[in-house]
Amino acid sequence: MTGAAAAAAERRAIRVLLVEDEEIHRVLARALLRAAGGVVLDEAENGAEAVRRVREGGAGAGAYDLILTDRQMPVMDGHEATRQIRALGVTTPIVGLSSDSLAADVDAFIKAGADDFTPKPLSKEKLNRILAKFNLA
Amino acid sequence: MAAANQLTALLNNMYATGLLDEQFQQLQMLQDSSSPDFVSEVVTLFCQDGERIIGELAKLLEKPSVDFDRVDAFVHQLKGSSASVGAQKVKNTCIQFREFCQSRSKDGCLKTLDSVRTEFYDLRGKFQTMLQLERQLQGFYPK
Repeated sequence: MTGAAAAAAERRAIRVLLVEDEEIHRVLARALLRAAGGVVLDEAENGAEAVRRVREGGAGAGAYDLILTDRQMPVMDGHEATRQIRALGVTTPIVGLSSDSLAADVDAFIKAGADDFTPKPLSKEKLNRILAKFNLA
Repeated sequence: MAAANQLTALLNNMYATGLLDEQFQQLQMLQDSSSPDFVSEVVTLFCQDGERIIGELAKLLEKPSVDFDRVDAFVHQLKGSSASVGAQKVKNTCIQFREFCQSRSKDGCLKTLDSVRTEFYDLRGKFQTMLQLERQLQGFYPK
């Protein structure tokens, strides 16, 4: 067993919610999370679906260990989804993702209630940083 | 093997000419026995997205009154998918394109659309060659 696989086997599976409308970004994120190991992945194609999943998963108990959310999506964007998830009392780490990474874009996510931001494209290094930051590695 | 040498030469050329950046290597590293077609899947999605988006951009920029916010949204989408696949030249041209959207320059947008179109189709052609060579190496085509 490789080092990464052994480490993943030791920790309990982490539940991640990926909120992303574009298939290409979902495919990449799926592959990176699979490679990280020990991840149970749920997906939502827009912010409204994400809020519904969080609410149905037991908002108080915190169904997810990590939420990764895109910014620009139809129906409801990542900023509004973050605000609504926080309004449910959910303290799960939320990381904003976007191809735009100006200070204003990052600030907007943080003001909405996100804990961190990472510019797209997602990579192994960026994902490892996120997992380590929130003690999910 | 000829196909292997051709594939190496092609990829080296794509990196050397700035068509691809290190993000493409991330995709290659994610391809394994449990996901043997991963690169092909992502490249195919990029090519489909790119063709669709370029078509939408052309339609929007033909209109007498251009909705620059809609143009910008599509360019943002193309920039994102380019970045995900490591399509560096297309991504960088999209960055310039967005500047023209933000300054509401129809001429700038039209000129940059031409550049994006040329770069995208050049890259798509090379990706198609790459995938064909990979299939040869995997023995999908009978000798």
